[in-house]
Amino acid sequence: MSTDRPASQPAEPTQPVLNVADLEVHYGHRRRRRQVLNRVSLSIAPGETVGIIGETGSGKSTLARAVLGLVRASAGSIVIDGEEVGSYGHRQWRALRRRGVIQYVFQDPLRSLDPDVTVEASLAEPLLIQGVSRQEAAARVRAFLDRVRLSPELLDRLPGELSGGQRQRVAVARALVTEPRLVILDEPVSALDSANRVQILQILKELRADGVALVFISHDLGSVAGVADRIAVLYQGELVEVGATGDVINQPQHPYTRLLVRSAPTLHSAAADRAEREALRALLHA
Amino acid sequence: MATLSEKVLTKSARNSKTEQNGSGAEVEDTGATSTTSTTGATRPVRPAAPSTPVLSVRDIRISDQAAGQEIVHGVNFTLTPGRSVGIVGESGSGKTLTCRATLGILPAHFEVTGGSIEIDGQDISGLSSAQWTALRGATISAVFQDPASYLNPSIRVGAQIAEVLKVKKGLKRREARRQAIDLLHAVHLRDPELVYSQYTYELSGGMLQRVLIAAAIAADPRILIADEATTALDVTVQAEILDLLADLRERTGLALVLVSHDLAVVAQLCDEVLVMRQGEVVEQGPTHEVLHNPQHEYTRLLIAEHEQYGLDKFLGTDAVEPAKTDALDTADAVKEDA
Amino acid sequence: MVRRVLSLTSGRIALVILTVIALLAVLGPLIAPDNPLATSSDTLAEASGAHWLGTDYLGRDVLSRLLDGSRVSVLGSLEVALTALGVGAVPGILSVYFGRVFEWVTLRLTDTLVALPFLLFAVAVVALLGNGITQAMLVTGVLVSPLFYRVSRAATLAVAQSPYVEAALISGASIGWVVRRHVWVKVLPPIAVALAQTIGVGFVIVSTLTFLGIGVQPPAPTWGGLLASDLGYLTQKPWAPLVPALLIMVTVWACNLLADAIRDVSGEAGRALVNNRKARANRLADTDSAAHGDPAHVHAGGA
Repeated sequence: MSTDRPASQPAEPTQPVLNVADLEVHYGHRRRRRQVLNRVSLSIAPGETVGIIGETGSGKSTLARAVLGLVRASAGSIVIDGEEVGSYGHRQWRALRRRGVIQYVFQDPLRSLDPDVTVEASLAEPLLIQGVSRQEAAARVRAFLDRVRLSPELLDRLPGELSGGQRQRVAVARALVTEPRLVILDEPVSALDSANRVQILQILKELRADGVALVFISHDLGSVAGVADRIAVLYQGELVEVGATGDVINQPQHPYTRLLVRSAPTLHSAAADRAEREALRALLHA
Repeated sequence: MATLSEKVLTKSARNSKTEQNGSGAEVEDTGATSTTSTTGATRPVRPAAPSTPVLSVRDIRISDQAAGQEIVHGVNFTLTPGRSVGIVGESGSGKTLTCRATLGILPAHFEVTGGSIEIDGQDISGLSSAQWTALRGATISAVFQDPASYLNPSIRVGAQIAEVLKVKKGLKRREARRQAIDLLHAVHLRDPELVYSQYTYELSGGMLQRVLIAAAIAADPRILIADEATTALDVTVQAEILDLLADLRERTGLALVLVSHDLAVVAQLCDEVLVMRQGEVVEQGPTHEVLHNPQHEYTRLLIAEHEQYGLDKFLGTDAVEPAKTDALDTADAVKEDA
Repeated sequence: MVRRVLSLTSGRIALVILTVIALLAVLGPLIAPDNPLATSSDTLAEASGAHWLGTDYLGRDVLSRLLDGSRVSVLGSLEVALTALGVGAVPGILSVYFGRVFEWVTLRLTDTLVALPFLLFAVAVVALLGNGITQAMLVTGVLVSPLFYRVSRAATLAVAQSPYVEAALISGASIGWVVRRHVWVKVLPPIAVALAQTIGVGFVIVSTLTFLGIGVQPPAPTWGGLLASDLGYLTQKPWAPLVPALLIMVTVWACNLLADAIRDVSGEAGRALVNNRKARANRLADTDSAAHGDPAHVHAGGA
């Protein structure tokens, strides 16, 4: 499954690993209906890294949950690795998930691991669910430890004994053991300190060489810019801008994107940025 | 009807007279005529001549008496009105302890075991509890991370700001309410009257932080400490809060101490930067100097993180230093055991 | 879990006491020195070589009566506790997964049961069905079951909404897998606590009923009955009613102590306990760690 070609130059047209078309999700009925996602369309090619940027309430988590089947879409289509999952029931979702094609890394490293289960058992769980034998699962788990720079002696520890950075790496490793084609990561580095953040981002960068498509969900453009091929900006449930990272950052079209770019703390923000941000905010709230 | 901004501005104008700082007084006068001026006019107050420091921290050392260990090994900085100092460091670097020492709220067993802190020229080491109470809010104030936990969820937020006004300025209920609404306006909240009557659960993180800033500046302090005040917020909201702090600094001459784990946040707002690691200040200097001429390897690491993984890479701004990947690797090796 | 409970002093004390009581219940009637029903002329005698705990108002050996009566009390309280467990815990866990209708029905049934006074019902059952404490205890068990329903439902809900359960679902786990692997372990400790408590409650109920003379005909000995019959002589020969009273008290106390111990070693508190122990062990083993702080301990508090 590894490819040496950078994801942005496919030699032949390949089927996208994820294709979302005109996706709509709403909560509540009639008067109390809240539209969370409005006609969102996005396509992820194999091996590419896409960052979905949005603030709290923009619908970014709902988008991830809809793609994973945890939330039902009210309209539109979701195609994962060629399968149209819009109308799937529980059993079909389970079958798809057991293929290990799509995985997820949670934001909170503390709560995404069962506190009473050892690291090894947590890592082996996706494989055991697939029906892999215990010995083989143990062997495959060990193979991935190296990738996330975890030492084998952590295997029989409980999550409570690990640091935040270590836990997040365990969560990433768990998402990789089934060798998925797509991994969605929800704010994977927001809860971490500087050193751990750099380490996780470096690990994720290395994953691209293996042809795994990555979707980063974050509120911070800055943390994603270094690893993403493309950026998609989600604002109030709508995808307002999509493009190559460099283009989106240097030539933002939508005022919200411009505000995002101007808001991300950089080392050399100019005094004029402040005035521009004020103007953009006024424009968006008009 | 003197509003907060006017009051604070006249006080600053009084200060500036003693300062012999021409440019400072000039900006103050402009501000006084339009109390609701937004940040359109950017003429930052940077006093050219030295003036009486509002906060001076000299070689402060803080120890954990229970463990018998010195945690903070010598921090030095000085704040004059309108200036801002930034402290960058990870958790455990000692930055929060330093701030708490200046506020007199060190946790149990922690004590200042060396150096001195002076607020407005007064040494705080011998202050009684009553003197501290008088000092807090009126001279030095603070906002922290996680705004929701600093407000009472069963009382409307407006009342909590009004409480500060009643206690610190002795205002009656109606006057306190009016000034509280003025304050909410001063922190750029869109509908101050509405926010006054809302509970914490009805407000977003960014709005709550503004409410806390309003409460913090209610008694017209000269120093505001923001300890990771924007860490829990979305990046656009963080920018709003930082812009607000910059605005307050300009309009009222508020001196700021900004503490963050993110070097860029500090760089955006502060004149001087201190980089702390494990209780020591590993680098200190004017922001421009620290960013362009980092001396310590840790500072270079922080800069490299932004260059490699942040927006700086794309924005084509003047290069700080070519990305030090070897610094990154050695630091990786150091942190492998983490 | 038993090992962890035994590691606490309170757990050890509680388990020792309860084991002794249980043994008394099983072996009691066999090791009683005298016939518990045999009267004698030596009434209200003090403790002596022949009668270790003295005699009651009819000259019967108190020790033998206690031993013989322990069976009724222990069996009765177990009946209450186990019935409550069976009737309450399983629907509690299932209510989270079996759909809205099932959830609503079980919730409303539970609410109804809570409204009914179990002691009165126990008396009513005995009145209707005649003597024999077992039926009364079964009915009481049903009436006490809401505790187990709520405890197991709350524990299941807390787990069901956790990210790690979602992670398992995302990997393709079935509900059965999730329950077996994640939910069960988390639900067991609160149920164990409730069980220990309910056994104590059961003891009190049995003692109360027998004290009132309901369910067990005299002269068959029961602890409550002993207490009742000798209570009149409290001023003259205090030890006669005191001994059964103390026994009831100590047993219920031990049950609550056990419940506390189980609670202390499970969930968040339990993990903190284990972590603290490990940290302390590390500090003792290596004096250097004291200077730098155990990294695992420092980070255990959360990211």
